[in-house]
Amino acid sequence: MRTLVWLLVVGLVALVAIVLSQLGALDPLKNGALTVASPLERGLRSAASPAADFLDNTTNRQDLEEENRLLRQQIEELTAEIASLKESQLTAADLAGLAEVEKGRPDDRFLVARVIARDPSNLKERLAIDRGSSDGVAEGMVVMSQGQSLVGVISKVLDDFAWVTLITDPNSNVNAMVLESRAQGVVSGSLHGGLSMDLIPQDAKVEPGNTVATSSLGGNFPQALLIGQVAAVQGESQDVFKKAEVEPAASLSRLENVLVLTSFVATRLTSP
Amino acid sequence: MRYLLFVPLTLFVALAQVAAVPYFPLLGVTANPLLVLLMCWAIVRGPRETMVLIPVAGIFKDLITSDPVGASVLALLPVVPLAAIRERWPTESDFLPTLAVVAVASLCYYLLYMMVLTAVGDGPPWLQSPMRVILPAALFNALLTPIFYLPVRWATTLSEMVRPRMRVAG
Repeated sequence: MRTLVWLLVVGLVALVAIVLSQLGALDPLKNGALTVASPLERGLRSAASPAADFLDNTTNRQDLEEENRLLRQQIEELTAEIASLKESQLTAADLAGLAEVEKGRPDDRFLVARVIARDPSNLKERLAIDRGSSDGVAEGMVVMSQGQSLVGVISKVLDDFAWVTLITDPNSNVNAMVLESRAQGVVSGSLHGGLSMDLIPQDAKVEPGNTVATSSLGGNFPQALLIGQVAAVQGESQDVFKKAEVEPAASLSRLENVLVLTSFVATRLTSP
Repeated sequence: MRYLLFVPLTLFVALAQVAAVPYFPLLGVTANPLLVLLMCWAIVRGPRETMVLIPVAGIFKDLITSDPVGASVLALLPVVPLAAIRERWPTESDFLPTLAVVAVASLCYYLLYMMVLTAVGDGPPWLQSPMRVILPAALFNALLTPIFYLPVRWATTLSEMVRPRMRVAG
């Protein structure tokens, strides 16, 4: 009987808390808890990181690990550069009006943020960063890696912290295009952090190794922001659409710092 | 009431779950040490103490994650009835039944958690989740059980040995 009463009372209180949380009434409490917990989380992360690296690469030595990290960063930067150059070439030839976009992003403003935690639920791909509304961060802002490839979008903002929904989150959808063929599609996340590009027209030419970038369709992302590379293409000739597996350019599982693009404002489209 | 001294331990485990555990995946998923600790606690020491620990640890975990506050508390609720059910069928050894109960508690946890996420508009893909997340996570949690079960068992045995002596001495 006591167990039943406890279940009812605690269950009811939890439901009320969920409703209050959804209304944002508990955000100050969350901000306070993260303020207290973030130094400890950072310490735990630092303590766990070498062990995680060791388990990841039991045969590798520390220098190989460092070299690998640097090479990955270089590859990501170079791929982002190639994506930008490809986009510049194609756009200069086809659409002179878009030339300004591909000259880089000199007018964009970035905010460097440190990753302090990852969502542990297995069902979501989220990161907590140490920047919030007091730093000018707002919901919908685009988050990039240091190599300037797409990481995700700010989905929840507290005063001093924010949560980033990664592009690999099962609920994430990004309008994208294959730069080589200009084929449009939607890049979606999945469980276990995989990326796939769906809704690619059957007649579009897409091959492994092709570069996938944001298309700006929908107005939620700037154009030609590197997402990743096509790893494999699926789909029979009778299918309406093709599907491609995409390897993210950014090493999303080991991000330590990210850039929040504060100058880009997502367009909220309304029906005409 | 001495078990309240272990509240910081459960909070630390919740903190570690957010800060460090995501870097140690197995079978593509990460473990839920908080659930395993509370389940082991409830089986070894009885469900009564976990009635206090669950709301405290659950709310703390929700405060430092992107989950709505209360989601983990709801998802952890089955720990108490499962421990109560386990109490009614005593066996010679607690260990193997604990593994099974932890696995069942993990399944219940994910089902309730997914229901909450779906209700708040953040629902995961239900069809893919059982094979890709729920079952591997239940297995991983069961594998993690000895790490928590043995210390809780030893600590309980030790405290039971110490208590009568203290009474005699007092």
